[in-house]
Amino acid sequence: MKQNFAWMAFAGTLALAGAGTATAADVTIDDLMNDQATTDNVLTYGLGPRAQRFSPLDTLNRDNVKNLFPVWSFSFGGEKQRGQESQPLIHDGVMYVTGSYSRMWAIDIATGDELWQYDARLPEGILPCCDVINRGAAILGDKVFFGTLDAKIVALDKKTGKVIWRKTIGDYKAGYSYTAAPLIVPTEAHGPIIVTGNSGGEFGIVGAVEARNPDTGDLVWSRPTIEGHMGTLNGEESTMTGTRNETWAGDMWQNGGGATWLGGTYDPDVNLLFFGTGNPAPWNSYLRPGDNKWTASRIAINPENGEIEWGYQTTPHDGWDYDGVNEFIAFDMEKNGETIKAGATADRNGFFYVLDRTNGDFISGSPFVQNISWAKGIDENGRPIWDPANRPGNPAESADGKKGEAIFAVPSFLGGKNWMPMAYSNKTDLFYIPSNEWGMDIWNEPVTYKKGAAYLGAGFTIKPIFDDYIGSLKAMNPVTGKVKWEYRNKAPLWGGVLSTAGGLVFTGTPEGYLKAFDDETGEELWKFQTGTGIVSSPITWEQGGEQYVAIVTGWGGAVPLWGGEVAKVVSYLNQGGSVWVFKVPEQLASR
Amino acid sequence: MFKTLAISALLFIVSAASWARPYDDVIDSGFITIFVYSDYAPYSWEEDGAYRGIDVEVAEYIAEYLGVELSLLMRGADENIDDDLRINIWKGDLIHRKAADVMLHVPVDKEVDARNDLAVINNAYFQEEMAVVVDRDRIEDLETFGYFTSEKVGAELDTASDFFLSNAFRGLLHPNIRRANTFADTVELYASGEVAAVMASRAQAEYIASVVQDRRSYIAQPPMPGIVRKDWRVGIAVKHDSRDLAYAVGDALNELIVSGKLSEIAAEYGVTYIEPER
Repeated sequence: MKQNFAWMAFAGTLALAGAGTATAADVTIDDLMNDQATTDNVLTYGLGPRAQRFSPLDTLNRDNVKNLFPVWSFSFGGEKQRGQESQPLIHDGVMYVTGSYSRMWAIDIATGDELWQYDARLPEGILPCCDVINRGAAILGDKVFFGTLDAKIVALDKKTGKVIWRKTIGDYKAGYSYTAAPLIVPTEAHGPIIVTGNSGGEFGIVGAVEARNPDTGDLVWSRPTIEGHMGTLNGEESTMTGTRNETWAGDMWQNGGGATWLGGTYDPDVNLLFFGTGNPAPWNSYLRPGDNKWTASRIAINPENGEIEWGYQTTPHDGWDYDGVNEFIAFDMEKNGETIKAGATADRNGFFYVLDRTNGDFISGSPFVQNISWAKGIDENGRPIWDPANRPGNPAESADGKKGEAIFAVPSFLGGKNWMPMAYSNKTDLFYIPSNEWGMDIWNEPVTYKKGAAYLGAGFTIKPIFDDYIGSLKAMNPVTGKVKWEYRNKAPLWGGVLSTAGGLVFTGTPEGYLKAFDDETGEELWKFQTGTGIVSSPITWEQGGEQYVAIVTGWGGAVPLWGGEVAKVVSYLNQGGSVWVFKVPEQLASR
Repeated sequence: MFKTLAISALLFIVSAASWARPYDDVIDSGFITIFVYSDYAPYSWEEDGAYRGIDVEVAEYIAEYLGVELSLLMRGADENIDDDLRINIWKGDLIHRKAADVMLHVPVDKEVDARNDLAVINNAYFQEEMAVVVDRDRIEDLETFGYFTSEKVGAELDTASDFFLSNAFRGLLHPNIRRANTFADTVELYASGEVAAVMASRAQAEYIASVVQDRRSYIAQPPMPGIVRKDWRVGIAVKHDSRDLAYAVGDALNELIVSGKLSEIAAEYGVTYIEPER
């Protein structure tokens, strides 16, 4: 069945390429939509618009993965290392890969030679909250696109790396930034659009999703994520998001948070964009009564006009910084003999949710990490059953100058799963979730100052739950909500996952290994030490009849910045910045 | 030839120095980098391409006193003072790795000092308090924050004033709090009449009263139940290995206070100078 679908999609692409006006080296919107089925390229973040991170390639399999060896490694160079969270794109024998400090390279895959480098000139005065990372590019026509730390989106000529256009997503002076991979989707009304979220500091920002014309960068529509704000369409006000003050008090909706910093996914089948939204502001939940929609939510947006078709809030009235931006992956679920148009998301808050992707209806919510304490479970309507004892206290209620009582909340604010994308295997029908088993002590801090004036903040420290591991790669059955197998890793996992029809699951570790596991059992079949930590997402493709695997390496991201007790596990890790490419050498391929 | 190259290379390194340095290095280099907050009237802000404010003038005086050029580093505030000390004094920012030799407007608070062992905080030069600037035509006498159940009050978003107002009377004031993203916009809330009062630091409240001239403004300090600090001292920070620089800057500040010059500078911005306990 699945094999047939893949072939049909592939045949469709061939027919279009033959009939269309685009030259062979240009990327069409149909190429993007068929990316998962076409194995000779990787044109989208997530190996397809649904971002299932599944490759139908089976040349490389459980038997021959032991023969996987590096072909070349490419250094990002200079002193600009830090965290590398990027997923490369592959097209026409060229790799397009982004790196820390808003840089991009084009590399000849046959030789590993650099074709060009683009280095964004970053202004003084940017204060990115977390790390100077970038997660990847988008490609269409003769251009490649990516976002920069000063909250701009840049379109480059993919042959030369020269700037074609550059547009502002937000004002970096107001704390906006950009790190996610842009998403390109088709529309009837506007042709292809390039869709971005936004990211920024913890205060004063309002989450938004924006669509632009990929040829010019001109804004097509925008959709704020916070209730009470007006969207735009074709340069004019369109509709308001939700109803003003329905879930917000006073004027707090004006600065409510809900940043869409991880970008989104798209399902061509139901023609909806899916974006996760971040935590509300301010952090102290006692200051903002109400559910605070649509923060810590998933929203489905119609790409034609930017209207929200449905929303589902994973953490209403968040008080733990469960910054629920996590990706929502469309998949068809076979349950009780029916095929359900479902979607799944593994939230920062430790629950794995399955929703009806056509309308956002709740289907199930199951824990994917252990000892969750902030909620006792998810009720039949999809709402968390809070444990009031495990909500951080109101700082104002502690006596001045005294450190308040600590509560221990699981997961920690870095999440059961953070940004790192999971994979859905079309072969096993399992989700492979890169998760972490950690909690946090939160207490009312005696006193801190902001911009010169004193307030009571919160102190926190992240703690591992188990002595011997934090990271946990889990195979989750979306039908039963049960974990089929688990791989435990000493350091927290911070990289994405890839699954293949060859029965393999790939992910990287902060200890520096790219690893391959058996998709049915979790048995570790292969590993390679890359020399620095891995916090990025692997890809695979076929070129000249051989299957390649690539991973970007370079330790960093939020863990070393926020480590707490976890710092002990990661403090010895060395920085780096490179991309590694692997294949099975010819002389071993036949074995 | 080789020698010349080596020397110019060395010069380049010295002039490009962008971390917090001890006294001798600062004097030898001929310049001092001093951090001040942006959008922080009346202490420090940028207007029409020029730097203005009390702290800007204090920084100019310090450089002059030490006989070096001033390199002003003006950046926004991060989430809290611990972040600001890290970014501006002991580590530098992530992108350009730039830090200052001296940071101005640091609260002199023993808890903050104890938590941040890579920075040294001392030399109080200013006394700060929480206050409210009020339009007398709308509220005759602000005896209590309870007036804001019926009148609107402004505050800069995500500041101590915002947190205090949001928490006051168990959230009762929520419908009447108007928050602005920047201090400049907070002044505008008051100037436009959208709010009857603004809560801020006393210096900021006095500054608002002085620049919004068509109003009968007064400064009030009603009881603030649950306020974290009603008043505190403001000083400087240097990196932990640059204490000698802090002594030299302390001499400059002492001169500035004792001569009465700091009081004159404050008055230019409509601010009453209160000498802190030193």
